Amino acid sequence: MALISTANLTKRYPAVTALDALTIEVEPGIIGLVGANGAGKSTLIKILLGLLPPTSGAATMLGYDVRTQGTVLRQFVGYMPEHDCLPPEVSATEFVSHMGEISGLPRTVARERTADVLRHVGLFEERYRQIGGYSTGMKQRVKLAQALVHDPRLILLDEPTNGLDPQGRDEMLELIQRVGREFGISILMATHLLGEIERVCEDLIVIDGGQLVQQGTLASFTTATATLEVEVDGDPAPLATRLRSHGMTVEAQGSRLFVESEGEPPYDLILDATVESGLGLVRMQIRRHSLSDLFRGTDRAAELAVAERLDA
Amino acid sequence: MPDALDSTSPPVAAAPAGSVYDLGYRRYEGARLGRRQAISALYRQSLRSAFGLGRTASAKVAPAILIGVAMFPALVQLAIGALVSGADFEIIRHDEYYVIISYIIALFCAVVAPDVVGRDQRSRTLPLYFSRALSRTDYALGKYAAVTTAVLGVTLVPQLVLFLGNALGTDDVRGYLEANAGEIFPITASAVAGSMLIAAVGTAIAAQTPRRAFALVGIIVAFLLSLAVAGIMVAEIDTAVTRWAIFASPFSIVEGMTYWMFQGTTEGGDDLTEIAGFTGSAYFIAAIVLTLACVAITVRRYRRLQA
Repeated sequence: MALISTANLTKRYPAVTALDALTIEVEPGIIGLVGANGAGKSTLIKILLGLLPPTSGAATMLGYDVRTQGTVLRQFVGYMPEHDCLPPEVSATEFVSHMGEISGLPRTVARERTADVLRHVGLFEERYRQIGGYSTGMKQRVKLAQALVHDPRLILLDEPTNGLDPQGRDEMLELIQRVGREFGISILMATHLLGEIERVCEDLIVIDGGQLVQQGTLASFTTATATLEVEVDGDPAPLATRLRSHGMTVEAQGSRLFVESEGEPPYDLILDATVESGLGLVRMQIRRHSLSDLFRGTDRAAELAVAERLDA
Repeated sequence: MPDALDSTSPPVAAAPAGSVYDLGYRRYEGARLGRRQAISALYRQSLRSAFGLGRTASAKVAPAILIGVAMFPALVQLAIGALVSGADFEIIRHDEYYVIISYIIALFCAVVAPDVVGRDQRSRTLPLYFSRALSRTDYALGKYAAVTTAVLGVTLVPQLVLFLGNALGTDDVRGYLEANAGEIFPITASAVAGSMLIAAVGTAIAAQTPRRAFALVGIIVAFLLSLAVAGIMVAEIDTAVTRWAIFASPFSIVEGMTYWMFQGTTEGGDDLTEIAGFTGSAYFIAAIVLTLACVAITVRRYRRLQA
């Protein structure tokens, strides 16, 4: 059974289309949901949780319809929102245990599991203190704990490292990794930080403008193709034409060409073609595909590049 | 919502790779009680927070003081009954009790409702509730039920204290209870119906804003302004049309309904309901209509709130 399945899922607002006929099929595992800010990640998560109604289309999680079977489904799902969501005047123990009951756990079970889960996220000592006095990192752990207290089959994390310093970020990612690998809970983690995806996730869903860009294993994203950057001392147009006639995918940018290749790049062929075009070769450089290249050419590429430099 | 209220067993989802390791995490394969448990937990926790239980001492002060003040008229009656031996007169009567403490009830509702209802909006906890085993409507009704129960603390509780105190103050407790058994139904019915109405108005207003102060002032204004307007329209202007304004005032409705429940008429009651001259059952119907309207507003608010 698919973990998550959507069919033509669409969410339209008066001004923008947040999700545009998104159709995906996700198997259990640790899945990264990646995309720039505004790509539709949060919208997708909120629709899956029943927090937002879709404009059209259908979605299921764990085999339950998210619209009509929400209250049953959500007993088995945990959610860690991006924003602050904790009441300041209660203790972590009290809050997490209450949230366990709201997920349908019997009272005594909720209490027992609260102690367990708070220990797992590293908050055992401080658990009777009021949340209002917690640091950002501790609050983030409480947010994770309340998503785990009812032993969900799947947790949805929306930018789980938001607002954390580098060390806190490392610890949170490690924790998430343990939840997925050791606890055996499937994870859908939305982030715009590609480094986090590479560290934690096994599978990847890339969306942009509410549409699916690509989906696959993490490995398939980084090894399948390579780009050869070719710089010449003149107008590269004739060279591009020549290479295209050999069936290559070529993109021109100023005096440079980007040549896509699968497997071993055709160095000799490019060298010969350059000479035949009467050009001098300035530089030829291989660039392994990295995740950020997926966003090349989109408006948000710059924003992403700033967020994370991952060029191999 | 077609969701079943009953508990369900976990769906079988293949665990991701690596789950064979057991490094201390315990799975839960026991019963999941679903929506019913979620609603009951919400109700219990909301009711506790209404009285400041599980919170700091300062959160307990206001509700406790207001309940104490609401009890005061009953205690006065009991004290006089005890001091003046053999006295068989009633200074404080059951049917006019809410008229005497209406300001206290309004204040109590204004303190409690924003606390029970607004807190989750203030700390943005609603998405955590709405992504769990209850629906938005369940949430709204659970909160309303908690506020209603809390308001019973300033309606039903003082009335029962007065009734039992009067009984214990007589030489013949059993005889008193037998003679006044007929009072028990109107005491309970007026307290429950009145609390449902007052709580519905308070909850509907409090649900509109995360700001506690706004909600508190809004509720007091709604109760007292409507009472003042009804007073002017009914007693001062006093025309056949303006008398209908009495149905815009929750407390006038509670008064009329209470007299009707005790005596079957509003005659001899508070002068406002007597002047207005509507038949007693009209107040009861008005109470039902206004309660349902306010609950609908609350539910609608939570269905639309962005979470």
